[in-house]
Amino acid sequence: MDWRTRWQPLVDAVGTTADADGLAGADAVEHGGIRRFLEALEFDCPLHYDAETARAHGYLDVVAPVTSLMMFAIPALWCPGDDPIFAAPDRDALPPRTNGAPKTGVEPDVIGHVGTELELEFLAPVPVGSHLVRTPRQLVGCTLKETRLGRGAFTKWEMEIRDERDVTVARVRFGMYLYEPVGNDA
Amino acid sequence: MRKPPQRYWDDVSEGDELAPVAFPLTVFRLVLAAGATRDMSPMHHNTEIARAAGAPDIFANAIFLMGMWERTVREFIGLAGTIRRIDDFRMRGLNSAGDVVDVQGTVVRKWLEDDAGLVEIEVRSKNRDVVTVGPGRVTVTIPRRDSTNEKPAA
Repeated sequence: MDWRTRWQPLVDAVGTTADADGLAGADAVEHGGIRRFLEALEFDCPLHYDAETARAHGYLDVVAPVTSLMMFAIPALWCPGDDPIFAAPDRDALPPRTNGAPKTGVEPDVIGHVGTELELEFLAPVPVGSHLVRTPRQLVGCTLKETRLGRGAFTKWEMEIRDERDVTVARVRFGMYLYEPVGNDA
Repeated sequence: MRKPPQRYWDDVSEGDELAPVAFPLTVFRLVLAAGATRDMSPMHHNTEIARAAGAPDIFANAIFLMGMWERTVREFIGLAGTIRRIDDFRMRGLNSAGDVVDVQGTVVRKWLEDDAGLVEIEVRSKNRDVVTVGPGRVTVTIPRRDSTNEKPAA
């Protein structure tokens, strides 16, 4: 089958949403999660770890870095009561979901995906104690293209991030290239 | 705790350069970042899978790369500044293990809006002298010397 034919269902899926389940962030916005985010960046900003400083600048409490909001809206990979997700002993076996690319269910099952673009609008500060959810990620664009990485689709998605009061704290538009790596497709 | 002097909108000029920040990407740091950002796509922590997908090695994820921009911008706008938007955050190339990402920024516009001092900063991430992310735009507020109404509504 021609590679474009394999990817056409994803083009036809523009307007639909991915990952309708598991939309709530796994963890509340909390000091430990913020600390780990700051640590990898060596990012020393007391708004994100010192309540007194944050309050002195008009916030209710320590606030999450704005670029961490997507992270706090990522659902859990496994929850108590779920079936096991680490069932295979293979070294590179993956769980059903890795918190990577959105899946509509109609795209080819590929391992190749890279982020291509992001636009974010930040509407409200997010203090510790908040619980974030993301709206279903809507596929708003899909263009098939062959690149040096492989053959696949440049996809565009939109979502909102909301807090536990259903207040929208950020709007996100992002792109991702999903592809069959060179040499892996027929 | 680091509390740098506050910068004011009145003192910012178009063409001002932000202090660049370098982020060396070791395997250790990339794995730490993948776990911290919860983006566990194997491209960010498993060399074999990354190479099978055509990448030279594991590479930095989008949230981590955005965080680099936030740190760089925050160090310019100070604690009283706020970040309103990030636009054109285009990931043009991979930032892989063994690379050093240099984040740079330039003030390209300043204006007033509802008495708030706004500034648009062009930000780019360079790796081996090639722009790998951006150039994009980060829109921020920076307090005015005579303003008292720019605290965020948390």
